[in-house]
Amino acid sequence: MSHRETVVNSINGIKKGPKVLKLYMEMCVKCGTCASVCPVYNGKQEPKYNPANRSDLIRNIYKKHNTMAGKLLGGLGGAKDFDATAFEQWQERFYSCTACRRCAQFCPFGIDNSVITRKGRTILDALGMTPASLQKVVNVSLEKRNTDGASADAFKAAVAFIEEEMRDEHGTDIKIPVDVVGAEYFYVPPSGDVLVNIEATMGIAKVFHVLDMANKWTMSSQCFDGANYGLFTGNDAQMKAINGPVVEEAKRLGVKYLLMGECGHAFRVMQRMMQPGKWWGELPFQVINCMEWTADHINTGKLQFDKSKNPQPVTCHDPCNFAKSCNIIEAPRVILRACCSDFREMTPHGAENWCCGGGGGLSAMNNIKEFRMTVSGIKKRDQIHATGAAYVAAACSNCKRQINQLVEHHKMGVSVGGVHDLLSRAILVDGNAARRVDYYQ
Amino acid sequence: MSGIELLVGSVLPYVAAVAFVGGIAYRFSTWSRTPQPGKLTLYPTEGWDLSSAAKEAMFFPNLFKGDKVLWLIAWTFHAALALALLGHLRVVTGFFDAAFRSVGLSLSHAGFAMLSKIAGGAAGTALVVAAIALLLRRLFLPRVREISSGPDFFALLLLVAVIASGDALRFGSSPVDLAETRIWARSLVMLSPRAPTNPAILLHALFAELLICYLPLSKLMHFGGLFYTMPLVRRS
Repeated sequence: MSHRETVVNSINGIKKGPKVLKLYMEMCVKCGTCASVCPVYNGKQEPKYNPANRSDLIRNIYKKHNTMAGKLLGGLGGAKDFDATAFEQWQERFYSCTACRRCAQFCPFGIDNSVITRKGRTILDALGMTPASLQKVVNVSLEKRNTDGASADAFKAAVAFIEEEMRDEHGTDIKIPVDVVGAEYFYVPPSGDVLVNIEATMGIAKVFHVLDMANKWTMSSQCFDGANYGLFTGNDAQMKAINGPVVEEAKRLGVKYLLMGECGHAFRVMQRMMQPGKWWGELPFQVINCMEWTADHINTGKLQFDKSKNPQPVTCHDPCNFAKSCNIIEAPRVILRACCSDFREMTPHGAENWCCGGGGGLSAMNNIKEFRMTVSGIKKRDQIHATGAAYVAAACSNCKRQINQLVEHHKMGVSVGGVHDLLSRAILVDGNAARRVDYYQ
Repeated sequence: MSGIELLVGSVLPYVAAVAFVGGIAYRFSTWSRTPQPGKLTLYPTEGWDLSSAAKEAMFFPNLFKGDKVLWLIAWTFHAALALALLGHLRVVTGFFDAAFRSVGLSLSHAGFAMLSKIAGGAAGTALVVAAIALLLRRLFLPRVREISSGPDFFALLLLVAVIASGDALRFGSSPVDLAETRIWARSLVMLSPRAPTNPAILLHALFAELLICYLPLSKLMHFGGLFYTMPLVRRS
């Protein structure tokens, strides 16, 4: 099949649904509001970054073949047929949208351009045109069940290291149970929170320890990554194939709760897509998030903190997938207010927060770093700068990577980490906060 | 009866009515029938019910958050449009005059004419100002210009034509004889059209008929599409 055929057939399929795409093809009035609120367009006002313009790549072809106005009136009906030269731009165009969904919050009709972006990526994927950097992550996930390509042994070594660190910090054994069948909670973080930025996982382990629930949770040496890049590449089959083993493992372990870590898209895929979509039927467990879980225990007074351990000004970056798509907005604030002496909000914050500029998988694409640093991340940079914060807490590996690169690129002298990272530094274990913190800045 | 009178006064009204009702029903039915697997709820949400739908349709709160200038133009335009449509009810029926009398407000003929002059004049002015503002925006604001194409300008120019020809009737030197438009409207309902002869009315009617025919084919369907797109991101 030629590119043209694949593209046109796939777009014609929209006529039969989903409803959301069909409506978005037929309903945009081209008022430009999406551009005013888009992190990418605000970074650089170029036509190719205008959300409605990007969505028109698909919309024009749809109108050409599927609407009376397009068929009868052609260009005057908003129709433009597939054009091989224009198609050469598709990859760059659909991978310069961060899929943050901010446009949908302000569009007078609630049009969510990220849905159209994902459709564009689905078409590219079908033609083998997913950016190599992202396809590689998908392939590694499919093969090794984690985006880092780490082995079970590497995972176990990392867990042993984390336990050792916690012993050094608190002078007592704080366990991270692994592969415990019959546990109640199965903790699935992004793999980076075990292998690289270990503090978030330390925080979780300490919460379980303080609650005297150290024997009630487990991690898995087979499944320790919730990340799912199939969401970003638009390949539904691969998204499900990456998701399946985690669900299988939760069933095998016989847990009551799948406790998702600080990874926005992983939680969204699990709680907002897999579960209601019944990908694997009815589930014998509940999908919950670590921030809400911890915040509940803070609210009921079961956890105590020494705020002086986090004296620096801290601000909270709301990952789009958590805030806009999963309504997790208050929980990180409950945690940060409890364990930091100087918590500051960005303007705006919560669901209307600006994207870090690396959403939709862009954060993992090194070949577009220049774009992320000088276009899509500019709003975030300015927001962080305005708070005067010395630490940005972001409950998402992709946001963290992007913001880390941003603050380095723009020489801002700001540290970046997770939410439970700060909790780990301030939580009282047997009445004392962590003694040493020399492995981070 | 001239060819124009026949076309605009007797043929196009029926064509427009069929295109309008049939076209809208068709679009609504395809939207209703298309399946939507999964939710796309955008938080925080107040949900989607009759009252939030009415609020969204009447006050455009999403747009207010996003672009205050456009909100002012768009809200003015739509509110004036609603007022003008109500006014047209009076032009083609005796509805308002009768309604006012039935609640005991007996206005003289001159009183009604004055009321109509004020409300209609305000709506007619607001419409033309807002439509031109929308056009200027589309021509000169880069973020709007770069996403504008044929249908966007066509719809707007058609609206300007309808509004300008209507304003010519409202503000022109020779006032419209309401008896003539009411006879025309009644004759259309009775299926024995008696077209008006005033060329200014015919011109306004022609533009309006074209707009009504074009509406179901176009993005102007947003007036109803709102009730299909909004629940997708609002329902909890």
